[in-house]
Amino acid sequence: MTNWINHHVQALKLVLGRMRDNLLSTFMICLVVGVATSLPGLFYVGVDNLSKLSGHMQDETEISLFLKVGVSQETLATIDTALSKNTEIKQHHFVNKDEAWKRFQDESANNGDINKVILQLNKNPLPDAFFIQAKSAEPEALEALKNSLQTLPGVEQALLNSEWAKRLSILLKLGTKIIFVIAALLAITLLIIIGNTVRMQILTQKDEIEVSNLMGATSSFIRTPFLYAGMLYGLFGGLLAIAMMAGIMEAFNLSIAQISSLYSSDFSIALLNPKLFIGIISTATFIGWLGSYIAVSRSIASFKIN
Amino acid sequence: MIQFDQVTKRYPGSDEALKNVSFSIDAGEWVFVTGHSGAGKSTLLKLTAAIERPTSGTVLIANQNISKLKSSAIPFMRRRFGVVFQDHKLLYDRNCFENVILPLRINGVAGAEASKRVRAALDKVGLLHKEKAMPITLSGGEQQRLAIARAVVSRPSILIADEPTGNLDASYAADIMGIFQAFNQVGVTVVMATHDALGLSASHSRVLHLNHGQLSQSESPMS
Repeated sequence: MTNWINHHVQALKLVLGRMRDNLLSTFMICLVVGVATSLPGLFYVGVDNLSKLSGHMQDETEISLFLKVGVSQETLATIDTALSKNTEIKQHHFVNKDEAWKRFQDESANNGDINKVILQLNKNPLPDAFFIQAKSAEPEALEALKNSLQTLPGVEQALLNSEWAKRLSILLKLGTKIIFVIAALLAITLLIIIGNTVRMQILTQKDEIEVSNLMGATSSFIRTPFLYAGMLYGLFGGLLAIAMMAGIMEAFNLSIAQISSLYSSDFSIALLNPKLFIGIISTATFIGWLGSYIAVSRSIASFKIN
Repeated sequence: MIQFDQVTKRYPGSDEALKNVSFSIDAGEWVFVTGHSGAGKSTLLKLTAAIERPTSGTVLIANQNISKLKSSAIPFMRRRFGVVFQDHKLLYDRNCFENVILPLRINGVAGAEASKRVRAALDKVGLLHKEKAMPITLSGGEQQRLAIARAVVSRPSILIADEPTGNLDASYAADIMGIFQAFNQVGVTVVMATHDALGLSASHSRVLHLNHGQLSQSESPMS
């Protein structure tokens, strides 16, 4: 057991020593790994945050029922009862056009341009409306409900507010797929880059490997330092990727904060995503291990006794 | 200890390097392997040290058949030997101390114990004062002695040396032979390939003479 620990400590020391001796080239490799890992990582962060945003919007799914201008009180009452009787509707409320107009004026009081337009209009352009929340959140069910409400007498237009959010979420699903493809391609690239780097190191350590082999070193003794090298490239590259991502996200957050404030939202990208970070580091480390394992196994095979 | 029975070794695309070679070496013996260049001396040593496997016949080391040993067991067999290679095979990217400690690392010896043994081995070959020197700065004789230190540091029971005095002048060569004799006196088996008359005259040992891959005589020159 102490032997085993010794072996690994020695290998790790050896590798760290070599990395320290070749600081610049080690940094370059880690940088390559970092950039290649941070790309899908950033895409993921983008899509993940947009999905959260769109999910948030879909929760507020609402059907707006805009009524024809000048509907009678009786028609209003008929629609109200129809909505109350409809089992698919959770709740609904009525906003009459004066109330809506007043609210709109209040909300845009601080916005000079809109205020000017409002002042120029001398009559209320808004219709009476019902706002309906359905029991179901299924896009198909909502669609059916919207279509049935559309046929009620006195209804000008039924609008499903979540329509664009739905489209966005479908696009985001596509985006996720694209990320997986990009990540897979970059993983293959990393595998080749790390494999090649380790293969070059094996070439420079060829004498040592040969001598060790002749002196009775086991395959694992020869392999271990190179596996550590690969894993460390992955680990340092992963850490570098996280640092770069944090920097980039921070820079984006400034602009996003400005955009969100325009929409009076406090949405921003979460900087700390431990799951994602651990995922990135462990994936990069694993790829480093695998790349060097393949390279070193091929080279050890050439030393087999004949 | 070491037993060759009808051993033939053929390399791909060439003639037989060894033909039907049979002999045995007992523990503590000193055996010279002689012969013209290309007679198969190095091949014989490589087969002895489990660096290669015979094409046919059996090589038994400590009653284990090398041909039937699994690849994973070969490294452990090799650890029984200390080998001094014809071309030294020193590592020129590290100093003397680090060259000599390599077999100990392979054997899982570390820390103070390893340093102690490395210094003892360097002391035996008279290189203790050069432990920090790089091998490239050493003379030919010193490099040879460094290779010997590396071969003996893990205290093997068999020392195998391929022309250890090959390129050295007489006084250096006598030095080297003296070192090997000291190990033989404490019970280490020595198998040495040489074409050097000096080595032969100075010892009381058995000679395996190879001629075109065949053993032509096995005798003690002094008897």
